[in-house]
Amino acid sequence: MAGRIIDWIDQRFPLTKFIKHELTEYPTPRNLSYWWNFGSLAGIVLVIQIVSGIFLAMHYKPDALMAFDSVEHIMRNVNYGWLIRYMHSTGASAFFIVIYIHMARTLFYGSYRAPRELMWWTGQVLLLMLMATAFMGYLLPWGQMSYWGAQVITSLFGATPFIGDDVVRWLRGDFVVGDATLTRFFALHYLFPFLIVGMVVIHLVALHMVKSSNPSGINLADKDNIPFHPYYTIKDLFGFGVFFIVFAYFVFYSPNTFIEADNYEPANPLKTPPHIVPEWYFLPFYAILRAIPDLLGGVVAMGVSVVIFALMPFLDRSKIPGGAKYRPIYRIMFALFVIDILVLSYVGLKPPSGTLVIVGQVATFVYFALFTLLPFISRWEERWLRKKGLPPEVEELIRQEEEEAAKRGRRA
Amino acid sequence: MKQVIVSFFIVVLGVFVSASSQAGTTEVALKPIKVDRSLDSLRRGAQVVFDTCMRCHSLRYITYRDLLDMGLSKDEVDALRGDRGMGEYLQTTMPPAAAKFHFGMLPPDLSLMAKARKNGPSYIYTLLTSYEEMSNGKIDNPVFPGIRMPDILNVTVETAPEERAVVEQKARDVVAFLEWAADPRAQERRELGAYVLAYLVILTALLYWRKRKIWSRLDDA
Amino acid sequence: MSEYDSDSNNPESPERREFLGKVTGVVAGTGIVAASWPFISSMNPSTDVLSKATTEADISDIAPGQVHTVEWQGKPVFILHRTDQQIDKMRQSEGGKDPTADQKRVLEPNWLVVVGICTHLGCVPNRVDDGWLCPCHGSVYDNSGRILRGPAPRNLHVPPYQFTGENRLLIGQADPQRQRCERVDPDAAGDTFCVSTNPNGKEV
Repeated sequence: MAGRIIDWIDQRFPLTKFIKHELTEYPTPRNLSYWWNFGSLAGIVLVIQIVSGIFLAMHYKPDALMAFDSVEHIMRNVNYGWLIRYMHSTGASAFFIVIYIHMARTLFYGSYRAPRELMWWTGQVLLLMLMATAFMGYLLPWGQMSYWGAQVITSLFGATPFIGDDVVRWLRGDFVVGDATLTRFFALHYLFPFLIVGMVVIHLVALHMVKSSNPSGINLADKDNIPFHPYYTIKDLFGFGVFFIVFAYFVFYSPNTFIEADNYEPANPLKTPPHIVPEWYFLPFYAILRAIPDLLGGVVAMGVSVVIFALMPFLDRSKIPGGAKYRPIYRIMFALFVIDILVLSYVGLKPPSGTLVIVGQVATFVYFALFTLLPFISRWEERWLRKKGLPPEVEELIRQEEEEAAKRGRRA
Repeated sequence: MKQVIVSFFIVVLGVFVSASSQAGTTEVALKPIKVDRSLDSLRRGAQVVFDTCMRCHSLRYITYRDLLDMGLSKDEVDALRGDRGMGEYLQTTMPPAAAKFHFGMLPPDLSLMAKARKNGPSYIYTLLTSYEEMSNGKIDNPVFPGIRMPDILNVTVETAPEERAVVEQKARDVVAFLEWAADPRAQERRELGAYVLAYLVILTALLYWRKRKIWSRLDDA
Repeated sequence: MSEYDSDSNNPESPERREFLGKVTGVVAGTGIVAASWPFISSMNPSTDVLSKATTEADISDIAPGQVHTVEWQGKPVFILHRTDQQIDKMRQSEGGKDPTADQKRVLEPNWLVVVGICTHLGCVPNRVDDGWLCPCHGSVYDNSGRILRGPAPRNLHVPPYQFTGENRLLIGQADPQRQRCERVDPDAAGDTFCVSTNPNGKEV
């Protein structure tokens, strides 16, 4: 019976064809490691956030006088409100952990290189949209940290030359962060996730054209692929299981790890908390912002530090494919970058004082140095490796890459 | 190599956890406290809060009905609420004007105090038991220098060991009650969490087994 | 491709694999259903709303012949402390358009508890000497809340209620031994109306 219904649909809509081509029979490299699970994990976290968010919105009041109380109402009176709220707050942190690991995988394995530049750039846009969504969402509980975090970050736009003050006032809808700001942030926080879904679709369309890269760096197209189903469906599901265990631990046993204590105090426009801290996922960029003594300089540096990733396909000049696998210098740079991010996070967490300020400035310098030196180091590394003598499989890889690039060039 | 990376991240996590736990404003070492979550402790704590704390502080997110859910009997709750309705919140007896006059500010609401401070329960316990007499004869508190709240448990007066024990027990009970008040559904959460985690471990094990089974087909080819 | 043993003792056999797959599927499916429950439940009334399902009223300060109006689930409820004459008068008839014995409309003869919403179009009737008069279209109710004249079709609804202790009334929760309650059609004012029964559950 079900078969006949599906046949009827198939004559009018490419249902089975689509599912076969894009999902069940979709060719995927057989050697993807667990680092490749993080894309689908990001998808499942997006679903968790949207579902929990919509059910929270049934009870939340986006009004400065009622917001804080409505969150406590959800926590205390709404059936399972506490569960939905903690899922949403934990989910926000989970989203960033997953995305940062996803980005790290892409950087390490060189998955941003041709022909995958658009995947990397749609990903970059998705990161920006996620950051905006998280920032606006954080204002909604209307706690002390919510309020003052929003106050600080919206004032940054005052650094814009000539029209700075007007921009800030326009953003807030008021002279300070207030009810007007809260209501519009709620409206946009509800909207953005659906824009993110749209962008994810574009991200996946791009993926299905260029196909996944893989840990070996070899272009496996037509050679050693396996169908996505059942191999990667089950592997992704297993990944979900592991993720949910960690997620559930935090939701049920440590839900306030990611909620600043100060945010359990209602927003007070007349009293700034002694120590304003953004959520952990913004810490490195916050540290870069503070490292530059000039306001406009700091804002520009912070902005550039987020979008500079987009330049990776151009900054990496090495012809040696496969990311860090055959490139020891690149691997060192990657490790340095990770350490630098952690140092910056620490600097962003603590109040600025004495040695920490210097450390933050050094770490900021290292951050930008790694990107700006990459073109030179990558070319030098390639020359050095060629002089040493490349393993035959790498020579083969390079030859294939040049063939592929030429094919693309001819088509252009 | 893998072990190096894993242990590196564990060290990093440790650094951040200890860093964030010192991000508070107080320099005083907090006395660690293991909160006694038993009903007896909550009952005693509720009594101290009603008799002592609510002379100045309100708990706007706790209603008398919530005390029923906590485990108190209807008679116990009726004794505490007197004429007030079940749906009314725990309101201080001190008029706001008097508070402003005596303290210059409204004493903060206590509903969320256990979550609104880093290591809330330890913070509250340490605060309540750390009052001391300064060299100039005035009473102050090293956890919150210049605090306007008086030494409500008479820490500076009740110094004999048996008296001290009573004071510390009261403070512990207050902390237990306030911890409950900040998150009344915590017990339910922990209980449900045990089932959820057990289920997830079983499901993930099944999924792993199935994954291995399916992937073993590739070795046959 | 190797030949698979069809013996189900062989871990590679199709039946064994199918079984594991089925078990995993059932476990996963159960989890998904269970996980959806909190979300569905969150849409039910929250505890603070549910607490308004009942209202406690102190009736010690209502003198005989006096009426107090209390709020229950957002609706007005008339509590009339009836004098003996009023009770006798009410026992003498079954009312008007919607005949009902007075005994069926009260738990204790000297206390009338009715929802103060006119069964015509929902206005709140005003108290007059021996009953209520609805200002909107002139419906007249007696001291048993029964419709005597006017466009209203039904008597004022008796809500579920019970006496709790000295001089206290709990409106919104019936004692099933004393009242039998039914839902009316949703268009009528006052969702539930109750009829008093004697302790055997039979109608008075």
